[in-house]
Parts: sequence; C-alpha cells; structure tokens
Amino acid sequence: MTAIPQLRSFIGVWLALLALLALTAGSSLIPLGAWNNAINLAVSVAKAALVAIFFMDLWSGEPMPRVVLTVAIGMLAVLFALSSSDFLVSKLAVAPWSNR
Amino acid sequence: MSSAVELGESYVAIEQQRQAQRAGLWVFLATEVLFFGPLFLAYVQGRLYQHAAFVQGSHHTDLLLGSINTAVLLTSSLTMALAIEAAKASMIRHARWLLLGTAILGTAFLAIKGAEYHHDWEEGLVPGLRFTSAEPSAGVELFFWLYFAMTGVHAIHLFIAIGLVLWAAISRVTRKPTSMRLPLIGLYWHFVDIIWVFLYPLLYLLERYR
Repeated sequence: MTAIPQLRSFIGVWLALLALLALTAGSSLIPLGAWNNAINLAVSVAKAALVAIFFMDLWSGEPMPRVVLTVAIGMLAVLFALSSSDFLVSKLAVAPWSNR
Repeated sequence: MSSAVELGESYVAIEQQRQAQRAGLWVFLATEVLFFGPLFLAYVQGRLYQHAAFVQGSHHTDLLLGSINTAVLLTSSLTMALAIEAAKASMIRHARWLLLGTAILGTAFLAIKGAEYHHDWEEGLVPGLRFTSAEPSAGVELFFWLYFAMTGVHAIHLFIAIGLVLWAAISRVTRKPTSMRLPLIGLYWHFVDIIWVFLYPLLYLLERYR
C-alpha cells in the first residue's frame, strides 16, 4: 500500500499548527501586558500562513491568487485605517459613547 | 465515464482552465475577507473604547471548549488537504474516507459550538433575546453581540462547507484526479478554518490570567 503524497509534510504542518495553538492558549494564562496581544496576533498570522502556504498552495501556485489576496488585505487595511481615525483623534473630540 | 476533465469553451488548455478556476475562487475568498473584515473592525473599535467590558465578556466564554474546537478545525484542514492529495493520486477510497472524516470534524465543531451557545443562553448572554447578565454593561452586551455575529456567520459558512465536502465524498469528483472541484472546495474549507484562527484569540483569550 502506498502512502498518500505529502503525508509526512502535511502532518508536520498540522503538528506545527497545534504547537502554535498551545503557545497562544498557554501564553494567555500568563500576564505579559501588551505582549499577550502581540503573541495572539502573531500566532494567528503564522497559523493562517501555514494553512495558506501548505494547504492552499498560495506560495507555490501561480501568482494570481497572491495578487487577489494582497488587494483584499490592502483594502481591509484602508478600511481599518480610515475608520480608526475617530479613535486616534478622540482625545480632541470625545465620542458620546466613549467611557474614557 | 471518463476520468478526464472536460475543457470549457473559453479555454485552450487544461492548465489555463485550472488557473482561471483557482483565480475565480480566490476572488470569491477576497470578497469573503471583506465580508468578515467589517465585523473584525467593529470588534477592534469596541475593544478600543470598552476594553474592560470586552475582557469581562471574554471571561464568560469557555476557554477549554474554544481551544478544543480550534484543534478540531485545524485537524479538519489536515484531513481536507490529505483528501485532495489522495484524489490527485487516484487513491479514491482514501480520499472518500478523508472527506468523510473532514465532514465529521466540521460537524463536531458545530456540535461543540452549539453546546457553548446553549450555555450562553442559560447564562443570559444573548443580546436582544435574553441578556440578563449579572454585570449589566453596554460593553459586555456589545462583546456578545459581536461574539454571536462573528461565530454565527462563521458557523453558517462551516455548515455550507460541510455540505460541499459530503457531496464531494459521495460524488464522482474523487474519481477525477485532475478535476478542480475538490481543490476548490478545499480552498473554501481552509478559508473557513483561517477565519476561526483569527476569531479564537479575539473572543476567548482576553487577559485569561485574571
């Protein structure tokens, strides 16, 4: 019986994903200040990258999906940046719903 | 029935058709990124303005069940990826079993999520329908509104993905090693997994050391 192609490398990716899950869950139990958020975000990005690169062939495939994804994330970044302008100037004009 | 993939009218080569189909699905995923994006934006805004209430809300979620569910979905991505490789290598039985396993893992995720929802309902944490939390706070209510909106929309996506995977498991696509249908379903499955990867720390992991 032959093994499924990529079996070993995919299991390696899966183990890495579970290790990252353990890291993010475990670190949330330790007070690290701003690093808690930084670790959670970095782990999420790393997990997404592992899935996208190895399971979705984002890196090894043709360039079009990478272009499409870059544009989508870019537009999302614009949305976040413009919408956050309210928070960034909220010391000048406090929003009625703000409890700061 | 032939195992070869038919070439569509608008294509000159199978590889061109494959790339166009992949690009098309990625464009769909881009719209999905921008569909979920505003919910994440709402979360970021809520947390910037109501940080303490969001931490309070997050402590009402079940860390253990949320973490188990994350592991379940990550594992389902492994079985999905292996199913596609098996189908490509004409290992039809393997592909079918792996697809069935993927669907079972997806269903397990929904079952665990349902148990969490039930608990949230009992605790009175459902904004609009039953919000009787002991700490009445607009911020906590906002957190739970976003919690249900984000996990609910995610669950609907997963429900659809389970349907597609089950269809693939019983249909003939596993017999066509060059067909793009299964890889495209796989892209959608992995995308739904990735959305959860970002939801999990935002909803479950806020200042758990307290």
